[in-house]
Amino acid sequence: MTTLTHEHEAHPGRQGPAPPPRGWRRLLYPGLLRAAWMAPLFFGIGCGIVVLCRWWGGWQPIWFGEIIVLVGALIAGPIGFLAGIGAFDYWVRYAIGSPTKPEDHSGHGAYSWRDYFRVNTDHKVIGIQYLTTTIFFFLAGGLLAMLVRAELAKPGMQFFDNQTYNGLFSVHASLMIFLFVIPAFAGLANFVVPLMLGAPDMAFPRLNALSYWLLPIAGIMMLSSFLVPGGAFAAGWTGYAPLSIHQPLGTIFFNMGVQWAGASSIMTALNFLVTIITMRAPGMTFWRMPLLVWANFTTSLLVVIATPFIAGSQFFVMFDRVMHTHFFDVAGGGYPLGYQHIFWFYSHPAVYIMMLPGFGIASEVISAMSRKPIFGYRLMALSLMAILVLGFSVWAHHMFVSGMAPWLRVPMMITTLMIAVPTGIKVFSWLATIWEGKLNFATPMLWAVGFVSMFVIGGLSGIYLGAVPIDIHVSDTYFVVAHIHYVLFGGSLFTIFAGIYYWFPKMTGRQYNEKLGKLHFWLTFVGFNLTFFPMHLIGTQGMPRRVSDYAPQFANWNLFISIASFALGASTIVFLYNMVTSMRRGAPAEANPWRSLTLEWQVSSPPPIFNFDEIPQVVGNPYEYGVPGARHAVLNGDRAATETEVRSR
Amino acid sequence: MAAAHAEAHHGPPIANQSSRVSASVLGMLLFIASEIMLFGSFFTAYFFVRVVNGIDWPPHPFELPVFVAGVNTAILVTSSFTMHWALQSIKRGNRAGLQAGLLLTFLMGLVFLLTQAREYSRVGFAPHDGAFGTIFYCLTGLHGAHVFVGLSILLFMTIRAFRGHFSPEHHHGVEIGGIYWHFVDVMWIVVYSTVYLI
Amino acid sequence: MRRGSIVQLIVIGVLAGAVASAVALIPNWLPSSASREAGRIDFVFWFVTGICIFVFSIVAAVSVYSVWKFRVKPDDDSDGPPIHGHTGLEIAWTAVPALLVTAIAIVSAIVLAKDDAAGANPLRVNVYAQQFFWSFSYPGYGDKKSDVLRLPVNRSVVLEGHSKDVIHSFWVPEFRQKQDLVPGLTPTLHITPNKVGTYPLICTELCGLGHALMRSRVVVMEPAAFDKWASRKGA
Ligand code: HEM
Ligand SMILES: [Cu+2]
Ligand SMILES: [Cu+2]
Repeated sequence: MTTLTHEHEAHPGRQGPAPPPRGWRRLLYPGLLRAAWMAPLFFGIGCGIVVLCRWWGGWQPIWFGEIIVLVGALIAGPIGFLAGIGAFDYWVRYAIGSPTKPEDHSGHGAYSWRDYFRVNTDHKVIGIQYLTTTIFFFLAGGLLAMLVRAELAKPGMQFFDNQTYNGLFSVHASLMIFLFVIPAFAGLANFVVPLMLGAPDMAFPRLNALSYWLLPIAGIMMLSSFLVPGGAFAAGWTGYAPLSIHQPLGTIFFNMGVQWAGASSIMTALNFLVTIITMRAPGMTFWRMPLLVWANFTTSLLVVIATPFIAGSQFFVMFDRVMHTHFFDVAGGGYPLGYQHIFWFYSHPAVYIMMLPGFGIASEVISAMSRKPIFGYRLMALSLMAILVLGFSVWAHHMFVSGMAPWLRVPMMITTLMIAVPTGIKVFSWLATIWEGKLNFATPMLWAVGFVSMFVIGGLSGIYLGAVPIDIHVSDTYFVVAHIHYVLFGGSLFTIFAGIYYWFPKMTGRQYNEKLGKLHFWLTFVGFNLTFFPMHLIGTQGMPRRVSDYAPQFANWNLFISIASFALGASTIVFLYNMVTSMRRGAPAEANPWRSLTLEWQVSSPPPIFNFDEIPQVVGNPYEYGVPGARHAVLNGDRAATETEVRSR
Repeated sequence: MAAAHAEAHHGPPIANQSSRVSASVLGMLLFIASEIMLFGSFFTAYFFVRVVNGIDWPPHPFELPVFVAGVNTAILVTSSFTMHWALQSIKRGNRAGLQAGLLLTFLMGLVFLLTQAREYSRVGFAPHDGAFGTIFYCLTGLHGAHVFVGLSILLFMTIRAFRGHFSPEHHHGVEIGGIYWHFVDVMWIVVYSTVYLI
Repeated sequence: MRRGSIVQLIVIGVLAGAVASAVALIPNWLPSSASREAGRIDFVFWFVTGICIFVFSIVAAVSVYSVWKFRVKPDDDSDGPPIHGHTGLEIAWTAVPALLVTAIAIVSAIVLAKDDAAGANPLRVNVYAQQFFWSFSYPGYGDKKSDVLRLPVNRSVVLEGHSKDVIHSFWVPEFRQKQDLVPGLTPTLHITPNKVGTYPLICTELCGLGHALMRSRVVVMEPAAFDKWASRKGA
């Protein structure tokens, strides 16, 4: 296998953005400086519009704080920020018909660390922007979890009052879901998918940049809700109406934060779909795509179809609150359970949005590190599609005790349990891939195999929850908390770590520290099980979820869990230390340290600015480990080989 | 041009086009799929209020201006035809037809939106007047917001058309904007029939 | 596969099954059972647990064995055998789980149907939830009010849920039954207490500030004692 090491790293001064102008003109140059004055300007304009409308419509009081916060701070200000940083520059010029600058790729690629802090159209830069941002929110969410556990270490109230406690776990979960798991997968895929497809970039690079910049807005919005009067939103990440309608101001920070994060994930998903459909390298048929690409294809379909429903649900809650509409208010003719139906019609698919990309990562890592083809490649891809389709027909399994129409329960139970079948297929196929392989237990493989084992436990507890009679008993207890953590922490987070370690050499051009990587895995693995496994037990025994205080009989277990969770939290320090030091001083990485076959490994580490000098020719399947003479793709310089091979097929 | 460009700047290799549909058309179609689901969530709310709760539609003292809205519907539907005409014109190289078509479409859209606003001020109930008012305003309002977005896109297309952009070979902008406008029209027919007619 | 490795696999599987069974049997997973419904629900719980232990043992056997045996030596750069799939196996692990979940679905549906049916001559009780306390009324006893849910033993009870503000949820772990109380709806819940005693009543749906403390008690009494209490005037 020819591995091309590219000698054209940065040509300083020849490419990259022109240096910003000096003096006051710098204020007009797209970037954080311009954002710093445009955001307040737009905030002012937003407030102005509100006040004008209220004055014109004769509503009193003209200065109505809640609407000003909503329109000024949560909508107009962020738009001003985006405009300031330059996310819209090209489109504005296009819209008013002025000659658009010929594309000189000045917004593409990173030549210095500054290029990560501006609107960049390079999918590799955006991928890294995504990952660092999401890791930041992961740390924030993790710290909140530590506070939750501190409060729960003993029965009775320790550090917080009830409302604050409810805010802590609500923001914890929202950050982890909307600003860590979902976008972290999008970030990994952003870096990897175009490379895997043999494409120079995503289909819509400017849209890609915009979808990244929506994320910090959403995250800061959710975090800053701690600062407003009344405290953070405290109705859980599920924000059930009617409770969420009558909560302090912080709730609209959740409502709007979800909109920004949701818009971001819809845009990225659309971009992935178009890239995967229209930009595959010649010879890359659907049945030759790596499973990570398949996984992101199905995930993106889920995102595009389902996410508008959570947007709708949060709009309704917000309207009920600020406009006094009656979506969920019985007295006015509304229907409270409607919220849950609409919310879960998104949020059940969302659990697959948080898991399918992880399946993709696991498949890549397990196949490459077992030196064997993925077992049952087609069935693996088909079961992704099956999960996609079934995923839309099971939302009401979150509502078995909600008081919805009782006849809905049995059909929903059947579809729910059916999903165990494609999921099982995936697990068994991974095991069969490992079987008789040449297993290399480098850090990514540890995480991937750890993921399979933890995900099995999460899947089995899912069966309990899917069986209605058992769910009636354990719904809304710590059993559910245990379940979501086995699938989201043991599932999504483990695969995210697998992906980060696996592609770290590709992304940074340096190798991470293997010893620390393994230490990180084992600390997390043990800490994780000690923290979350006992939660099953206290759940079935009778401890409800989302409580700051509990019956004394659960005191011992909770103390144990809290101590374990602090150890688990501490394991993250190892990860951070490893990442930071390896990024700066790690040994230079080879182009293909894992001897993988997929395309991203056939270019240098880090890849050249435009990925490929010439679009590669795909000639075979992506996982042909152990097949003599098999190759997945032919890169430039190998014309002759390409032609003979293409002809021989 | 792109190739020469790539030479000069060592730009990206030209991506392989692996499908018959062009990226921008596909992107717009997927975006519309997402938009349909957004309307879907509003229609779900409509379903719960009107079918599950079974409230009167419209409840007693209120009345829906079915006729005015019907005229408005006709206007919007017509604008779809002028939009189509604009696109066909530029495909044949008829710039004047493009400009006239876009301008007419824009004006009709504007009339629709203004009529709608007028209707709001005269209809005699507000969003907080029971679940009926809520659903009426939110569905028509969501659609109105889409008309507004469509109008903005039309405005940009018109400006570009008058500043000499678009040609028989390059009229993607008109095509994509047009798809969105047709979507807005079709969606209105659904909203009109569910909210006003049945 | 060699004979020896099959034996090893089975041994690992049996060990894993033993560990899992110990985890399932040694701690008290379920609180004591105090209603007829609880008995049936517990049956589903143990039925599913049995299936899960079976699946877990297989998965554990295969993965532990692989991790143990197929680990590569540091200098070995060779590839594994290029096995792409095996139709028979793939059909098996589609069909067997499908059968198992079908069994679970059938058992669950039957239990659900039984639990949903009220017995003859049920006692009706209204449950009222509001931020943040519980109250009850007995329409059959002159609308007698109470802050504690008192029920006669061995008589079918139909609880009708009402909420005055937001969504709450009625849960008595010893009864294994749970029902959200939603404003505007009146969902019902069927319980047949079969053990005299006092049990905690817990709100399990986040309902605001005082949610964690929204608890009460259920007292299951002898029918005679219950009748005496219920026909007394006042709370
Ligand atoms: C250090 C690691 C973590 C600890 C100690 C932790 C702890 C907790 C606890 C105690 C709760 C329950 C709060 C309550 O119901 O009263 C909770 C809820 C939750 N956590 Fe975590 N968590 C951790 C990491 C994660 C991760 C990585 C994710 C996502 C992938 C996550 C997602 C969630 C979700 C979705 C909930 C449910 C919140 C709700 O019920 O509204 N957590 N966490
Ligand atoms: Cu679900
Ligand atoms: Cu509660």
